[in-house]
Amino acid sequence: MPLRFIHASDLHIGRKFANIPQPPDGNIRGRLMEARHGVIGKLAVAARDHGAAHVLLAGDTFDTATPSPAVIRQALAAMGEAGNVTWWLLPGNHDNLRDAEPLWEAIKRDAPGNVVALTQAAPHDMGGVATLLPCPVAVRSGASDPSEPLMTMASDAGRMRIGLAHGGVTDFTDTGAAIAPDRDRSAGLEYLALGDWHGRVAVSDRVQYSGSPEQDRFKHGRRGVCLCVALDGPGAPPRVDEAEIGAFLWSEVALPLHPRQDAAAALTAVLPATGRRDVLVRVAATGWAGLPDHADLQRAADRCAPDFAHFELVTEALGTQYETADLDEIDRHGALRLAANGLMDDAGSEALSQDEREVAADALARLYAYVREGAT
Amino acid sequence: MKIRSITLTNVRRFTGSARVEGIGDGLNVLCEPNEHGKSTLFDAIQALFFKPYGSRDKEVSALRPHAGGAPEVTVAIETGEGHFSVAKRWLQKPAATVHRNGTLIAQADAAEAWIADLLGGDATGPSGLIWVRQGMTDLTGGSRKEQDAALAARRDLMTSVGEEVEAMTGGRRMDMALARCRDELAGYATGTGRPKTNGPWKEAQEHVETLTARRDTLAATAHDLQEALSDRNRARRDLRELDAPEAAEDRRIRLERARAAHAEALRHAEDVETEARKVEMARLTAERAVTRLETFREALAEKTTARDEAATAEVQAKAGQAALDAQRETRDAAEAALGAARHDLKAAERDHELALRATAARDGATRRRELEDRIAKAETTRSAMETAAAAARSGPDAGTLRRLEALAAAHATAIAARDATATQVIARYAAGRDGAIRAGDAALAEGHPLPLARATRLTIEGVGELEVRPGEAGHDDSSVEAAAQTLHAALKEAGADDLDTARASAAARAEAERDHGEAKAVLHSLAPEGIERLRETLAKIPKPEEGLDAPDPEAAEAALESARAVHEDARIARDTVAERLADLRTEATRAETTLASLRDRVSRAEDALAKLGDSSGDDLSAQADAAATALRTAEMAHAEKAKDAPDLAGTQAALTRADSVESRAREEIARLKPHLARLDERISRSSGDAVEERLAETEQELEVARGALARIEHEVAVLIRLQKALESARNEARERYFTPIVTELKPLLHLLWPEAELTWGEESLLPDALIRNGQEEPIGILSGGTQEQVALLVRLAFARMLAASGRIAPVILDDALVFTDDDRIERMFDALHRQAGDLQIIVLTCRQRAFRGLGGNALRFSTVTADTATG
Repeated sequence: MPLRFIHASDLHIGRKFANIPQPPDGNIRGRLMEARHGVIGKLAVAARDHGAAHVLLAGDTFDTATPSPAVIRQALAAMGEAGNVTWWLLPGNHDNLRDAEPLWEAIKRDAPGNVVALTQAAPHDMGGVATLLPCPVAVRSGASDPSEPLMTMASDAGRMRIGLAHGGVTDFTDTGAAIAPDRDRSAGLEYLALGDWHGRVAVSDRVQYSGSPEQDRFKHGRRGVCLCVALDGPGAPPRVDEAEIGAFLWSEVALPLHPRQDAAAALTAVLPATGRRDVLVRVAATGWAGLPDHADLQRAADRCAPDFAHFELVTEALGTQYETADLDEIDRHGALRLAANGLMDDAGSEALSQDEREVAADALARLYAYVREGAT
Repeated sequence: MKIRSITLTNVRRFTGSARVEGIGDGLNVLCEPNEHGKSTLFDAIQALFFKPYGSRDKEVSALRPHAGGAPEVTVAIETGEGHFSVAKRWLQKPAATVHRNGTLIAQADAAEAWIADLLGGDATGPSGLIWVRQGMTDLTGGSRKEQDAALAARRDLMTSVGEEVEAMTGGRRMDMALARCRDELAGYATGTGRPKTNGPWKEAQEHVETLTARRDTLAATAHDLQEALSDRNRARRDLRELDAPEAAEDRRIRLERARAAHAEALRHAEDVETEARKVEMARLTAERAVTRLETFREALAEKTTARDEAATAEVQAKAGQAALDAQRETRDAAEAALGAARHDLKAAERDHELALRATAARDGATRRRELEDRIAKAETTRSAMETAAAAARSGPDAGTLRRLEALAAAHATAIAARDATATQVIARYAAGRDGAIRAGDAALAEGHPLPLARATRLTIEGVGELEVRPGEAGHDDSSVEAAAQTLHAALKEAGADDLDTARASAAARAEAERDHGEAKAVLHSLAPEGIERLRETLAKIPKPEEGLDAPDPEAAEAALESARAVHEDARIARDTVAERLADLRTEATRAETTLASLRDRVSRAEDALAKLGDSSGDDLSAQADAAATALRTAEMAHAEKAKDAPDLAGTQAALTRADSVESRAREEIARLKPHLARLDERISRSSGDAVEERLAETEQELEVARGALARIEHEVAVLIRLQKALESARNEARERYFTPIVTELKPLLHLLWPEAELTWGEESLLPDALIRNGQEEPIGILSGGTQEQVALLVRLAFARMLAASGRIAPVILDDALVFTDDDRIERMFDALHRQAGDLQIIVLTCRQRAFRGLGGNALRFSTVTADTATG
């Protein structure tokens, strides 16, 4: 009998996004928070569309160990409203068993009947056709492979074994805490649903990261997805389809520039033309630009920034090429030109620190801006 | 630009047309009395160049004549590009035109633009600088607006006078940039560079501090929550382990087992104890049986022995009593002999005492005599010592005598010193006439000089007297007299008339001191402890007894010795007998005691045998054997029981431990339950407050706030850097700015004040002090004449610089030298002529006589007729 389920992870419900600047007349933080809560409904819809009776959340459902009561209760209520779906919640590193003990107690106490808190590394029956083998995260930073219990967890013969774990397959911290990429084979799994990585990664046919369904960083360049998994029977290869359910696109755009290029036009060219309200964009300008180009670019950025949910212009890697004509625009002679020349010299002086050079360069750009504004 | 003619039509008093023409290069002078239209001409020229033809402001309206009409001004000018005629009409049919060689090249706004371009700007442009209105004689005069305009013009002048000067102050753009920079920086920081209160920098700092404090508080709370969770897990685990039914049952079973084992061990121990008691009883019975047997045997033997010894002792006691009685008689005889000898000894002792007393009386008489003699001598010696002591207290002592000797020597020295310088007389006698010359009673010795301290009369035998007067010189007696007075005073104090008397008195005193010492030594030898002590000793010597009949001492001594020997022999004999008697008495007593003791032993043995009843020795022996057998049997039974006895201490320890485990478990459970309740409440409170969520939010906010603060700090650094760069550049430019002006102005100043210099204000770009003869005088305190002279010279310098840049502008002076005296005005004229070489200067004045010496090209108003209207 085939098994269909939804694989998702890292919902990070309750995240406040206080590091995203919020304009006085905006509510981007609230929208981002609300989008994370809205993922629950979208997962329920995806389950319905996919004919799945189960939603496997592979850790970090909540952003912190102690989310507010409202966050917990509203999330559980939303899951409860999708009554035809069983929600399997695995503790991840953010909501690990030790730090988030009150959270899991609250879930066990308050959760509706279709929500199961997987706080024990013990097998669970999935509709009589499969056994779910969860590996809850005990502490925030463990020193062992969190999928290790899968090696010893038993399941009824003839049933498919579905592993559920949270952690990376690459040990970035050299602590030995990485999940073995071949855990599906070593533990005899039909499918290993993993969480922790916010980007979508297929380690192998049977070992998959769904990524966060609602992205939160300028890294992956696409909207978040959930995985619609179908298993036809023991030993059969899984069929995995992605369903894009993320509301916001976090997009980092490269903007290579060269002197005398129309910076404003170049910026417009790399930005999405539509859907800007739901796009958080970071434009990383590189290359070289003259003083007026810098000013033009900044003006263009200021002009289009309100179109987006969030807009950042990063110019650290954009050098300034000082043209004589630019300096002439400040003044051909006189004290202003003397000041401009001194600042330009400092901006390129190897004898000064990077900070001092940047200060001098910005001071020159400011002088240029003053003069230009005064001339108009 | 140079003005060649000016035509006024319908301008104030000129209801028709009037013209000033023939205006040449260099110095031009329009000298007219008051009310002849000089200021009208000035205002009309200004209006032409700086008032738009459409203007209707009060200055334009003021040009209108009382009779009405449209004021119109036409100026013919010459530039490098040719000759032009610039005309404007205001108020009615206003118009502006520019003709070149009679051809209209611009009109209306185009004409205005042409004029503005000609001037290099509006009314505040550099050309405007050169106009000097009547009454605006100081450099900073005029309205605020005019002053600002003049300042700006000065800067623009600098930018227009050539490459070198242009690279100077930056002009208005510099002011604007610096003002923007300062304004923006002032929004962030105080003048000392600290964050401004309520400014964004300060607020960002405070925001970071607030968030940091909140983050720390939340982090501490989160840490506390984690601690509480860990604590609760441990407590739950402990409670689970302790409170689990199987754990409680295990503890109960262990306790029961320990109790049962200990009870069994106690019972066994009691059985062993019972067997031990049986052994003890058997041992006592056996020992008692052996004791009875031994007692029987000992009592029987004692009875036999004691009875035999008592019989022997009784015989010995009787013999001893007989010997005692005999010895008592012997002792009585010895006592009698001793009494007789004692009587004789006492008689001999009395006789001997009498003999000794008689001998002592004889020896005492001799001693008394000796003591009485010593006492008498001592008394005599003491009297002599007291006399000598009295004598030793009179007369000078040795120190006084040495002082007198010294004073006498000083006196003699003074005399010798006087005599050495005094007049001397030396006698040389003729033969046979020795001693014929006398001084007083003494004859002068042959050849010996006689000093004469004062007038002296010498008697010359047979001749008469010769008085020698040594005169005043060399006869100073003051030293001699002083020495003599000192000597005399000292002698008087010592009680002597002269030194010899003093010496005699001192010798007598020394003799008396020696006598006193000798007497004292004698007295000490006679009575070392004093005369009274001798008298006391004398009193103690017995005096001879009258009528004493004493025996011969030697006979008495012999008799005494004999009596003593007899007495001693008797005493020894008596003591010997007494000792023997005591020995016998002791022996008798001992025999009696021995006998009593033996009789007691017999009695006690009989009592002991009686206590054993009728048992025979065999009976007692059999009883002892039976008791020994019973003892061995009991000991075997005890050993058999003790062999399998459990370790009672071990079972007791096990029971104690089991009890302890159980009680500790109960106590721990009782402690853990409320502890868990408290932890639950603490965790519930913290997790309910969403501390981790708030912490994460605060950390993100803090990150943002730190970023914002860093950006503001960078912004402040940028503004400070820019301000520094601008100020530094402007200061450098100012130095360059003043150099050409000072160079240009210097010769003009020296026309009036040789060696004079001006100092310049950095902000105003104007002179702020005149230095003459080393004295620095602020412009504001100078006289009106000096101020207007400096002002005019500065303007001429500016105009010269403007001309040097190729932009020649007329200098028009409307009664600019009002307060200048005749002497100075001549030198000002020189200055005007000096500058007029390549400038056009138009002087308007009403001071005809004063300006007569100015020279230059004379100008006149002329009426325009139809024939000259197109001139």
